[in-house]
Order: sequence, then C-alpha cells, then structure tokens
Amino acid sequence: MKILSLSGFVPEQICDTVRFTGYSGGRAISHYCGYAADYISQVLNDDSIDGTVFPKSCDSARIISSYLGSADKFLYQLPVPARRDGAAVSYFAGEIRDYKEAVEAHYGVRLEDIKERAEAVNRRNEKIKELYEGLEDISYSDYLCGIHKMLTLPLAEQSLPEPKAASAGGKRVYLVGSFLAAEGILDTLERSGLNVVGDGLPESGRLVSAAPCKIDGDIYKNISESILSARLSPTQNNFGEILERDIKEIKEKKAVGVIFLTQKYCEPYDYLYSVYEKRLAAEGIRSLKISLSNSEDYKSSELAVEAFSDMI
Amino acid sequence: MAQSVIKLQSSLMREYYKYFSKYARGKSPEKKVAWVTAFTPVEILEALGILYYYPESYAAVIAASEREQPLLKKSEQCFLCRDCCSYSCCIEGCLELEDGPRGTPPKPDILIATNNQCNTLPNWWNILAERYNVPLIVIDYPGEAVPCERAYEYVTAQHRELISRLEELSGNRLDESVLGHFIENSEQSVAWWKKVAAALPEKEIKPTALFDDISYLITARCSPDTAELYRAIYDEVSALPEADKGLIPLFWLGYPLWYHADRYLSECLDGFRICGSNYITWWSLDYSGNDVYEMLFSAYNYTFLNLSQKTRTKRLTRLIKDSGAVCAVTLHNKSCKCDFVSAKDIGIPQAELEIDMIDREFLSLEKAKKQIELLKETVCSR
Repeated sequence: MKILSLSGFVPEQICDTVRFTGYSGGRAISHYCGYAADYISQVLNDDSIDGTVFPKSCDSARIISSYLGSADKFLYQLPVPARRDGAAVSYFAGEIRDYKEAVEAHYGVRLEDIKERAEAVNRRNEKIKELYEGLEDISYSDYLCGIHKMLTLPLAEQSLPEPKAASAGGKRVYLVGSFLAAEGILDTLERSGLNVVGDGLPESGRLVSAAPCKIDGDIYKNISESILSARLSPTQNNFGEILERDIKEIKEKKAVGVIFLTQKYCEPYDYLYSVYEKRLAAEGIRSLKISLSNSEDYKSSELAVEAFSDMI
Repeated sequence: MAQSVIKLQSSLMREYYKYFSKYARGKSPEKKVAWVTAFTPVEILEALGILYYYPESYAAVIAASEREQPLLKKSEQCFLCRDCCSYSCCIEGCLELEDGPRGTPPKPDILIATNNQCNTLPNWWNILAERYNVPLIVIDYPGEAVPCERAYEYVTAQHRELISRLEELSGNRLDESVLGHFIENSEQSVAWWKKVAAALPEKEIKPTALFDDISYLITARCSPDTAELYRAIYDEVSALPEADKGLIPLFWLGYPLWYHADRYLSECLDGFRICGSNYITWWSLDYSGNDVYEMLFSAYNYTFLNLSQKTRTKRLTRLIKDSGAVCAVTLHNKSCKCDFVSAKDIGIPQAELEIDMIDREFLSLEKAKKQIELLKETVCSR
C-alpha cells in the first residue's frame, strides 16, 4: 500500500501515506496549479504509487479526480469542511471514518492502530514544534527539507534530523505560502542573508499549531478536531483570522519582511495576497511575492530575493 | 392580460438596478443588503426581506458594455493577480474606481458565499469582507461525494444558522410558509425556463437571447414575474420557424463570452447552428423534497459543478444527445477551473478553445478560427 497524499488535511492517524513533495517531468495543464499538475503526473507515471488521497478544497484540487479517473489506482477525495464549528467537526469525523473504511475495503486490510498512530503523530508534531519555536537559531533550509523527507516515510520511520545552526546576523523574515515544494528557494533565501523566523506553511507553522489529537473517546471526532484546530488555510475561507494570526506572529518575531510564496494559478493564495499586502503595508512591513510555476521552479526568483534582502 | 416580454424584462431590470449608484441618486435602500454568489439560497433572503446583489452578474454586464479592460488593469494594480477569476478582477476594479455602466451596487451589510460552484467565489468574498468590514457567511455544500444523510444534516445546520443570522440582521422572523412560497416561485421560474431552453435544438433561436435571458433566473428566480417572463418567451419561441437542419448542429460547452456582442464566436461558426448549451441549464435547480429544508438542500447541494465527474459526464452526454449535436466547441475557461474538465468523454468531436468569459484580450481569434475549421472538416469527412 503506497498512497500519495496531497495535503495536510489528510489524517495521518489513519494509515501511512507518502506526502507529495514534488515531481520532475510533470505534465503541464494550462492555467492550472503546477503543484497539483505535478501531483497528477506522479500518480499517473509512478508505478510504485498505487493510491491517492487529496482534499476537496481549492479549485485545482476539486478537479483532480477528473484527471485521474482513468488511473487504475485507489482514488480518494476527502471533503474538507470550509468551517470549523461543531457541525463541521462531526461532518469531517464521518468523512475520516469513510476514508478509513475505503482504504480497508480497497486494500483488504484492517486499520486497527489508529489510537497508537494518533499518539505517534502527536509526539512527532511536538518535536517539530520545539524546532519551530527556536527557528531563528537553526538553518531553515535544513529544518524544512528535514520535514519534507520525513513526511514521505511511514510514520514509524519518521525522525527529524537536528538542523545545523543558522548563520549569524541574518535579516529576520516570515514566510507565507502553500507547501514549499521548490526547496531550492530555501538555499537562495539563506545565501541572500535572510533568516526565516516563522512561517505559515502547511508542513511547518500550520502543522505545529494543531492541537494534539485526544486519544480517549471518539477517535474520529478527535482527529477531526485536531486537524480543524490548526491555523487556517486560505481554502478555509477566513482571511480575517489568517491576517490577525499572522500579523501577530510577524510582529512578535520582529520580522522586517515577509516573503509570500505562491504557486502560479493558486487562487486561494493569490486572493489572500491582495489583502495581505495591504495589511503589511499599513504595518510598515515590506513584502515580496514570488510566484512559482511548478514544484521545481525556484531559479527565476533568485534575483528578486537578493534585491528584497538588500531593500530590507 | 399577459404582459409582453419587453415589459417584463424592463420591470425586472428596473427593480434589480434601482439602487445602483447611477440610478439611486444618493438614496440608500431601506432594507438590508447582501451580496451573494450565484448559487446562494436566496429564497431565504427573499423571505426575510433582504435585498441581494450578484457581483458576478454585474461583471458580465460590465464586459457586455465593453468596459472591462480598465477595470481589470486597476485590480491588478491593487495586487489582485490577473490569473484570478476575471469576474472578481473586473468587480474589484469597478469598486476601486467606483466606475461601471450602472455605477456600483449598494454597499453590503452582509456577504454570503457558497462553494457549490467553486472555491474561488468564497475566496473573492473574503477580499470583499476586508474591503467593507462586514460579516461574511460561507455556506459549505459537500456535493455528491458525501453520503446524502450526512450532507443533509451538515447543510441544514448551516441553512438554519444562516436564517438565524439574517433574522438578527433584518429584524424579521422567518415564516416557513413564506419561504415555501418563494421556493415555489423559483420552481415555476425553473420549469418555464426549461421549456424555453428545450426549444433551442428545434427552433431558429439565437443563442444570444438565451445567454442573456437566463440572467433573470440567476438574479430574480424567486420573483413571480420571472416565471411570467419565461412563459411569455416560450410563447414567442414556439412561434419561431424551425431550425435550419442543413447546418451542422453544434453544442456550446461552457460560458457565454460576455464581452462578445453575440456572446459566442458567431464569426467562426459559418455553417454551424448552436443547438445546445450546458450553461443555460446550470440554474435549472431541482427543488425536490418534503419540506423547505429538503428542497433547499436538494437545489443547492447538487449544482452541476458540485457533482462528480461521472455524473457530470452522464448529464452532459444526455444533454448533447437530446440536442442532436454532432460536435462541440468546448471552452477551457481561464477563470473557471471547476469547469475545465466537464467535457470529458462526451463522445463527439470537440474544438477546445482557450478563453476567458470576461477578458476579451485573452482569446486568440485566429487560433480559434483554425480549430473550428478543423472541427468542421472532421465532422464533414465522417
């Protein structure tokens, strides 16, 4: 069983999945998110992948199953609620249970270690959180690449290597965006003298913000509560809360600049940026928007990052 | 005595636009105002006496008035990426410049967005919420992927919450029988519209009229005048000559091109007749159910773009078969990713065009002409 998962909304407590981090040689779909297109390519071309799970969230993710319909693999779209109230928690809990049953039915397995897995996810997230809280002192590139590598492994094999120390005197910046597949940009940031002191990425700042999953009681409801307790993605449609939460952290961490990373044709982040930029400007904080065309694209932004570093 | 089509159209438009800045002359509406997306359960708003406006529809009007380009440019200057849905870019420019063919809509007291069409609209509504600093309600419709009972429970909890918040806003109490009455009006509008749309394969109807006339089903489906209008239009189309069956029957798959005088690429379609369109069926909502909550759930959870690819393909195949089309112009709309792959496996040759429904500069007309020529050759050589 090797299921490729696309999003932090996929409950790792249910079973092992390989988190999609990027793919070479992806197929282009015009005016469509390069990250999602690369995901589709890997599912179609990588014979070692026998299943997929992805959310119903942004518009690109909504239509993934239309592209993958012909793939003879396990396909599962997880409806993620756009709200976080009690009704949404119960609804999402039902969806998580359905997902578990679908995996069991397709692969002919019994998934009976959900509580143990929930505890393991809690422990792992706690470790990431410890690192996140001391982000200014460690190499952000080491930290994030370590997380990426870890998320592709089965839960039992996941461990986070100790990142090396950050270079001294870096300019403090905050990173906003979706999953940062184009890891090459992290080296660019560090080479340009920037020190990432916080982020809102799904695999980092958002992951560690989730409340630990409770173990006692209805485990599906607990998983649902935990996932929905995390800092919001723009696909959850509450920009006001995202802005308040991020600006507070940016100020607390004394970041002097914000780098806003988007995938080309990623509308949730494009819409968010239009209000984020104005709010940052009102706070006197400079920002740089970088739009990446696919999961490997980073070289085109090198000059912009260097210029931004000089400016702040 | 039955009213004429023009009189009914004028009356509905006058009613809808009377508080737009060009006509209101500084006068504000006495009722509370909501801005809503195109598949919002407006029957609830109607029953609570709340006025509602559709920015998407107004973007179409702006493009039809050839006013979209400066507005698109303005929104880009305001950091809204041009890759985003051009309905939103157009309206952001309009609001920023306070400029549009009918001015601007009255300012909202509340914003309501639904995701039964796409997730772009709730994103857009978020930036409107920042602009106006008013409450935003997002209604989450799971669609077909979720078991019906669970989806009903989840959606109905949200409909009840919507009612409660709108009661608070308007100061009115919802009378369910009044809500039922407005749902009946919507059903009537849908029923008559379906009859009009069903005449397209048989009668010499210019699709332009249908693309424009469906706007009343979007902006005024709860009004009894809308059903009356469609009944009158049906009478008119029934009297039209039969369609020229010597022309190649073609299905227009996707949005109307709002910026185009005919709303479709008439200059590329010599020798063809448009005998079907899926866009004109999108608001043919199915209000089946035993009470108002079931009816609203049925209508708004199962909108076309909220269905699985399998069901969409099945519906489209049926529509195409009923229309008699032997080929299709399929629009790959830069602004509507949810409609990118609606036309999968439909069983007839297609010319797939890269378009945007608002931004006239997006289309390569020469390329489109060549693609349609090729389609014609394919059909004629069969």
